[in-house]
Order: sequence, then C-alpha cells, then structure tokens
Amino acid sequence: MAKKKMMIRDIAWYRSGDKGDISNIGLMAKSDKAYKVLQREVTPERIKAHFKDWVKGDVIIYPMDNLNSLEIMLYQALGGGATKTLRIDQTGKAMGAGLARMEIEADESEL
Amino acid sequence: MKKVRVGAGSSGWPDFKDGALDVAENGDIDYISFDHLAELTMAILQNQYAKDNTRGYIPEVIPLMRSLLPIWKKKDKHFKMCSNGGGANPPVCADKVLELAQELELGGIKIGVITGDTIPLSRVDDLRKEGWKFKNLDTGEEDIDSVRDRLLAAYAYIGADEIIEAYEQDADVVIGGRLSDNSLYIGNFMHPLGWKFTDEYWDRIGLGVCVGHLLECSSWSAGTCSNLWEEIDYPKGNPGFPIAEMYENGDCIVTKTDTSGGLVKDLTLKEHLVYEVHDPENYIMPDGICDLTQITLENIGPNQVRIGKVGDKSRGKPRPENLKFCLAYNDGYISEEITIICGPKVFKQADKAKEFVRRRLDYLGLKPKEWLWQRIGWDSLTGPTVGEPPADYDPPELGIRVAFKCDTKEEARACRTECGHLCWGSLGVGAGFTQPPAIRPVFALWPTLIPREAVPLELEIKEAK
Repeated sequence: MAKKKMMIRDIAWYRSGDKGDISNIGLMAKSDKAYKVLQREVTPERIKAHFKDWVKGDVIIYPMDNLNSLEIMLYQALGGGATKTLRIDQTGKAMGAGLARMEIEADESEL
Repeated sequence: MKKVRVGAGSSGWPDFKDGALDVAENGDIDYISFDHLAELTMAILQNQYAKDNTRGYIPEVIPLMRSLLPIWKKKDKHFKMCSNGGGANPPVCADKVLELAQELELGGIKIGVITGDTIPLSRVDDLRKEGWKFKNLDTGEEDIDSVRDRLLAAYAYIGADEIIEAYEQDADVVIGGRLSDNSLYIGNFMHPLGWKFTDEYWDRIGLGVCVGHLLECSSWSAGTCSNLWEEIDYPKGNPGFPIAEMYENGDCIVTKTDTSGGLVKDLTLKEHLVYEVHDPENYIMPDGICDLTQITLENIGPNQVRIGKVGDKSRGKPRPENLKFCLAYNDGYISEEITIICGPKVFKQADKAKEFVRRRLDYLGLKPKEWLWQRIGWDSLTGPTVGEPPADYDPPELGIRVAFKCDTKEEARACRTECGHLCWGSLGVGAGFTQPPAIRPVFALWPTLIPREAVPLELEIKEAK
C-alpha cells in the first residue's frame, strides 16, 4: 500500500474559537473514510508538537461520530486569552487553519 | 401542532444591521433575538456605567430599533424581540427605546427590563465570607485572592426564566444585560411552545440549546466564516441570518430568507455546531445541557436543514445548579504598532529590526512584562505551525507588528514610542506605517461559577405612552 502524505485540510474542514485561554478547534471530515483517518492521525501529542510553544497546556480530543468531526481543546493556547494576549489573532480564529496545515499520512485505499 | 419561527437578529457588537432587518421584513418570524455581548463587552460597559450612569448599554440598540420598530408596526404579526443590549444598564437602554417608540407613535408597546445579573463586588466579598470559593475554571486556581484588589466588574450569565416571565406579562420587547446568548433563543422557544424546566422537556430544551447555539452567531451558520466561502453567493453583499422553525414536539428546521445571500446547509450548520462547544456531550448553558453527539443534520431542501436526533438517547439534561460567573480585573496595558517593510530581503530586515528593538529596550531600561514580535504575511496568525521561510522566499513586502504589555499606561507608551514608532522610520530604506491603535487597558477575565440563588433577578414591565 502506498502511503501518501497530506495536510489535514486536504481531508477536513475546520472552524476555531476561544474560551479564555483555551483554543477550541472543530475538524469536520470530508467523508466517512476521512473521519477514520482523522481519528487515527490527529492525536494530542502530534497537535502539541505541531503548535510548539504556542500550546502550553493539555490537548483533549472529543470525537463526534454523529458529525464525522473532532472537537479539540488546546489549553493555555492563546497567549493568556483574548483580553490578555499580545497576539494579533486574539480569539484564536486562525488556530484551526494552523492545525489544518499539520501533516498526516494515509494509505491510498483509505481515501 | 404549535410551531414558532425564531430569527437571529445580532451576534455581537456590531453585526450586519441589514441581516436583522431582512429577517424581520421577510422571515415570517414570531420572535427575534439580539445578542450584542462578547466575553469582554460587559466589563467595558460596566466601566462606562461606573463613570456615567446614563451609559453602559450598547448604543447600536437604538438605531437598530429605529429601523425595526416601523417593520414591527406594519406587520399583522407583531413579532417579539429579545435583546441583551442593555449591557450594564438595561433600564436606561429600555427608556431610550420607549422614547423612540413614543416618537414613532407606538403607544402601548411594552418592554420587559431584566436586572440583577451585575453583581456588586461587596456581594462577591459577602459570598466568600459565607464560604463560597470562586475557583478559576481555566486555571484551576481555588479562589480570587490574587486578583481581588484589581477587580473591576462581576456579572453572571443568566438564563431564560425572566424572559419567559416578561412575555407572560405581555412584553413586546425584552431588554436585559448578561442574558446568555443561548437564553435569548431558549426563551423564544419555550414561551410560545409551553415548554417547562421539567423532566418531560429536557430532550426538547437540549435541542433548543443546540439550535440557540446555531443561531446565536447569526450569519456564521449561513455561510460566513465558512470553508465554502468562495463558492457561496452574496448577490448584493447581503449575508443571510438563520431562522429556526421549531415545533412543539421538538422537530426543528433551520432556514433563511430567499431575499438574503449566503447558504444554509448541513455543512454550514455543522461548522457552527463544532464551534466553541468544548465537551460536546455536555454543552452547558444556563437553561439546560445539550448532548451535541445526539444531533443530526439533514438537508431537506434549498436552505433547509432538519435538526434531528441520532437515536432514543435524550439530547438534553437538566440545567446546572450554578451559573457561569465572570470577574473582570485590571491586568495592565497593551501598546502595539505595525509597519510594512519593503523588499528585498524582507525577512533579514525583519530579523535585524527585532534585534534592534531588543537592544533598545535594554539600553533604555524599559522592561515590559511581555513583548511579542510578529511577521504579518508569514506567521502572525498561526505561529510556530509555519516554521521559517525557505531561503529563496523573498516576497515584495512583509508586515511586522510589535506589541508590549506593561503595568502602567506610561510604560506601555514609552515602549511603543521608543521601540516601535521611532524605530519604524529607521528600518532600511523603505517602510510604510500606520497610525497605531490606542493604548488599551487589559481587562482580564476570571471565569468561575456562582450559585443560581445568589443572583436575585428583577423584572419590570415599562409601557410606552
């Protein structure tokens, strides 16, 4: 089986927001198969490594099988939160796009 | 079967006014809800109110009502309106709307005014003496000792009870303060459909919480901020706001008017269902807890999506005993400045400028608590996920932004003037800079909980002469 490298955004849509210093990212798989790939490839460890020092706390992933989606919470991830952060993206609206750039792998047969 | 059509009217401060007017004019609605408050807005409004007791509400409520009330007047079906634009001062906001109603010869229109969500700091102290701890929900810190001296404002996110009561007393318009975004919709579902806060109704209230969430950000469920943005049509540049058609038994369709642009389909709603909900099995709102993993979305026609359920499991759970409570405290000042540097070698120029600023802060003895350097056009939005640019990548221009956080406004200004503004004109041989934004106070938020019974709410009905 040929492994193929891709970005999350090739197989999922995304939207992100905030609550305090928590960044909240929803990933929506573009198909049933893509949802299975997302569930396997998108892990808290990889997300933390991807965001490096921008995400200082835990990462929690909640599956939403009914929507083929993952609900992802990144703690201590917005430089203190909307009202305190020095970042230009105060409310983490672009964090989803940042995650969507993360590289993942899947077999051709999985897509 | 009883049904009600509830439209979204606003999702913040400001929002597209024409979206609300389109819903009122063309949406065949019974109710419309207006959320004007972001997380921080109440702290800003309480600050205004403390300085001047005729301010502290959302000023845009008045021009919005000036446009809406004539539509309300001419419609056979007088839709009811519910707004949290009263902010820190619902009574004065309501008085202004009453004056407007009188000017428009709408005698007899009734406004329900809800107060009590703002909690005096002395009451916060009393509750602590009684043993309540305001544990920080973000950081886990047990109580507010570290910020007590810096507290500016405190407010509870309140539910729909008083909205429903206001309608029971024939209010046409309800104006409150920190009514939760979601409750503005729950009240508009529960009153006409006769739902109660009892076991029989939690599944339906759970659904209502879900649909309230879908509607509360207005056009965001109808194709703005969307992954489909490039393919969605806005013939007149007019976003559509969503409308829920909710049935007594908990059937529900989300739609929009034909006169607006945008799109309502399963994906545009899904985009919002996954937005800012955290644990999807427990999406906690003051009026109920929704299990969003039990929701289905089904396209049933153009711009029509049925909100259904996965199986037999309830979509709702009883409302929580405690209310969300936010304490705002002062956390210094932020200053910032942006410039755009011209190529060639923009990244090298930017690196040199950053080092220049760093050295200058040291040289002048300026010690911001924190400072941040960002490259606009490269990684200012998504930071370390981008990495460093390839050696052969040299765009014609690059924005750079520096931001400083300091304890005092004077320090924040000094950092910006000495290490932002003055430097910009000295970068290489060409840079464009803009007027910097005003130095802003940092109102930090302490998210916590408060017992429901510690927030005594009041409802007053006022009538236009």
